[in-house]
Amino acid sequence: MQAVILAAGEGTRLRPLTRSRPKALVPVANTPILKYVIDALLANGIREIIVVVGYRKEHVIRYLTESDLPVRVVVQENQLGTGHALRCAEPYLHDRFLLLAGDNYIDAASIARIKGERNAVLVTDHPNPTNFGVVVARDGLVREIKEKPDTPTGFIVSTGVYALDRSFFRYTVGQEIPDALQAMIRDGGRVVPVQAVDWQDAVNPWDLLEMNTKLLPRIDAKRAGTISRSSKLYGLIRIGKGTEIGPNTYIHGPVVIGEDCKIGPNCVILPNTSIGSRVTIDPLSYVAHSLVMDDVVIGSHSRIIDAVVGEACRLADHTATWTAGAVLEREGRFQKASFGAVLGDRVRSAPFTILKNCIVGNDVTIEAGNTTVTGVIPDDAVVI
Amino acid sequence: MCGIVGYIGFRSAADVIVEGLQKLEYRGYDSFGVATSNPHLAVYKCEGKISEKFEKARELHGSIGVGHTRWATHGVPSDRNAHPHLDCTGRIAVVHNGIIENYSALTRELKERGHTFLSETDTEVVAHLIEEAYDGDLRAAVAQAITHLKGSYALLVTAEGHEEIVAARDSSPLVLGIGDQELFAASDVTPLIGYTERVVYLDDGDLATLDREGWHVYHHGTPVKRAIEHVDWDVETVRKGGFPHYMLKEIFEQPKVFYDTFHGITPESLPERYRRPSEITVVACGSSYHAGLVFKYLCESTCRIPVRAELGSEFKYFTPPLKGIVMVITQSGETADTLAALKKAKAYNCPTLAITNVLGSTVTRIADHTLYMRAGPEISVAATKSFVAQLAVLMQLVNLMSPKSGLSGSLERANSAIDEVLLQDIGRAVEICRPAEHLFYVGRGLFYPIALEGALKMKEISYIHAEGYAAGELKHGPFALLSEETPVVALCSPGDTYSIMLSNIKEMKARKAPIIGIGARGDRELIDIVDVFLPIPESHELVQLIATSVLLQQLAYQTAVALGRDVDQPRNLAKSVTVE
Repeated sequence: MQAVILAAGEGTRLRPLTRSRPKALVPVANTPILKYVIDALLANGIREIIVVVGYRKEHVIRYLTESDLPVRVVVQENQLGTGHALRCAEPYLHDRFLLLAGDNYIDAASIARIKGERNAVLVTDHPNPTNFGVVVARDGLVREIKEKPDTPTGFIVSTGVYALDRSFFRYTVGQEIPDALQAMIRDGGRVVPVQAVDWQDAVNPWDLLEMNTKLLPRIDAKRAGTISRSSKLYGLIRIGKGTEIGPNTYIHGPVVIGEDCKIGPNCVILPNTSIGSRVTIDPLSYVAHSLVMDDVVIGSHSRIIDAVVGEACRLADHTATWTAGAVLEREGRFQKASFGAVLGDRVRSAPFTILKNCIVGNDVTIEAGNTTVTGVIPDDAVVI
Repeated sequence: MCGIVGYIGFRSAADVIVEGLQKLEYRGYDSFGVATSNPHLAVYKCEGKISEKFEKARELHGSIGVGHTRWATHGVPSDRNAHPHLDCTGRIAVVHNGIIENYSALTRELKERGHTFLSETDTEVVAHLIEEAYDGDLRAAVAQAITHLKGSYALLVTAEGHEEIVAARDSSPLVLGIGDQELFAASDVTPLIGYTERVVYLDDGDLATLDREGWHVYHHGTPVKRAIEHVDWDVETVRKGGFPHYMLKEIFEQPKVFYDTFHGITPESLPERYRRPSEITVVACGSSYHAGLVFKYLCESTCRIPVRAELGSEFKYFTPPLKGIVMVITQSGETADTLAALKKAKAYNCPTLAITNVLGSTVTRIADHTLYMRAGPEISVAATKSFVAQLAVLMQLVNLMSPKSGLSGSLERANSAIDEVLLQDIGRAVEICRPAEHLFYVGRGLFYPIALEGALKMKEISYIHAEGYAAGELKHGPFALLSEETPVVALCSPGDTYSIMLSNIKEMKARKAPIIGIGARGDRELIDIVDVFLPIPESHELVQLIATSVLLQQLAYQTAVALGRDVDQPRNLAKSVTVE
């Protein structure tokens, strides 16, 4: 059996985190979302995997090459939609295949349910159906898929995982995948809905925190590195090689820490926290329920809670996040969400910065100390 | 990384394996070996590249065999350390890709039980473990042996008197190829291409037997079925993993290469006698020479030690009076001119230090001491990651010679700066370079060697005539060449020479030369006077230097691609220059 994973799109709703990488490469529990999808396929014995890359394709290819994963890469030169992305893989497809999104988590059990079907869509219940394609099914067949409806007629949504065969290509010209499927159904095609076991999508950047919390309990507890005898570690914890955990550090799992990090002394890391590789957390800092990516420096006396911290951010001492729920305007849409902070890549902050329910763009510099940052700060801004 | 191949069928196993190993050379090429069983075990091992020394290996007879091409991790490349490894009886042959983490403990135990080890590799323990468990059933013996192993492995085992190959994997890649009356096993599908399109990917924990009757897979002892997949890939696509060229692949590996190399050199790597020399003479060729020039600027200003950078080809015939240590830099470790210079330095009784990427290469055997870059195999003729790795070694060297300089802290995160530069869209700069017949690269101080290296990259792969100059030298001649048809790449980072660089750029601008300016992000003054501005991250001068060289590699690469050049194999050039 073959599978096509679409990893060519940016995933704009996850900005600012998608400037340096497509959504498929965003790490959750220190593993890119794409890797979960590939693993779920491999666990089902599906070995002929084609990954369609486009946006920041070199980064995706680099990741796949470094991990020595047995996949074939197909390049979509221009981002012309999902239907076009699938057609880029067409020359390599023989008959039946699975189609998946590289930027949604899917588990192996769901794949097992759908892989035997000829034409099927994997569906799930979701409390916010307006962000997805709402599936209308009757008599065991899909009748209609309404893409991101304003007034949804139900809570069953498409997960973007499909079982298809080559006859589907007739409908893909100039179409997005859900529209093509809709056309196939109108043409009398039989498409079966299959209930997913576990599927997750992070629509907004702060949703990554919830996804991180859900996926962290699945890590292998394995502790490498140097861990001070006077530190205290409880629960499910994974620590990568080369990492140093300083004296009197308290870590309560589930927590994953990457390679070559320096943490402590006297730090506290509380549950549902992922810390990437080469991260430094200076003494007397406190991190909880957060997703910290690679190469980040968190200064001493900091307090990072409910935060997504992008790659290579440098937060000076006494940085604090403040969890609150305000209405934020993002790309013309108003949303209310409660979280501490979402920082893009390479954000630099001065000492005593307070980040209150804010989204800070890539390469932003917060120059003045003692500032409370709120709202949405665009990329490359300087806060004075 | 290493590559392994196994074959059982009707052809000459040695031929199939040698050909397969050549295709796997991108995974490692410092030594290789083949074992065939006919029905007695015959082994040929050799240090060096398989593509150059394969003749003898092909003389082995038999239609069953295993082979290996190595990139040394434990033990230097030598005939002795090359795979396959045998047990004490010489009847069991093992090839291995991966790292056995607990090999030293296992070696100790096995030695206590009377086993004799012939090599310094981690792999040899596997052969002896199989020997201990062997009672006529090869599969059972391998299954028993791998229970002792910690780490990663893809193994192929063959034994005298057995018409079979046993394969096992855990965390290292291994595929089986299913042909007509013949079976293959290899690190990836490249050796299979041309023989069969039907492959089986093994899982972690799988053990497979390949014999005359067919193939079977066992997962932790239980027989399992594995599906046959169909592959119609071509060799080059597999090796590049999706990148259009090796050069681009290697450019994108640089953040990791810099980090690994910089942290791979520790105070223990540098003996005391190299710390405070009275004088240093650096000898190198090509890109390595430019790295040497960077070292000269850096070491002289930071450590106050006089440094002389010499070209290998000149040094050999016009040797200057030598004092202090002689340091040679060569990616391959085989550069003829550099080796000749090194021998000369030894004849003068100077302590010698080598910097190379290839463990156990010729240079490491001649030099008194060697520091290694951790760039991994570099396939593209144009040096990219090895240049950045050389900078990493040299900067760490300066740091060790002058620990108070604080270089270590500043450079610790250079990897993110490289990553940041790789995100940049340089399309407009490429548009300026593409139609040009001549290009000038100018910089001052530390950025002068970077200008030389940038120009070298450009001429190597795009065939555009490019010259690097110290910016002040332009006025002493080259200025006469400037016109609107000679674009200039100006390296203008903050620092002592910033303001004089700015006025140089204005002078060039007055001669109507289109200017591509590279400077710190947000540098308004520079943005206003140049035609295209390429920003690099604001940070330590040395981090900017590394970021600039990566940006110049990208500029050369993308210009060459836009011109339709053969980037990985530029005309008239060879990867390592082993003749004078």
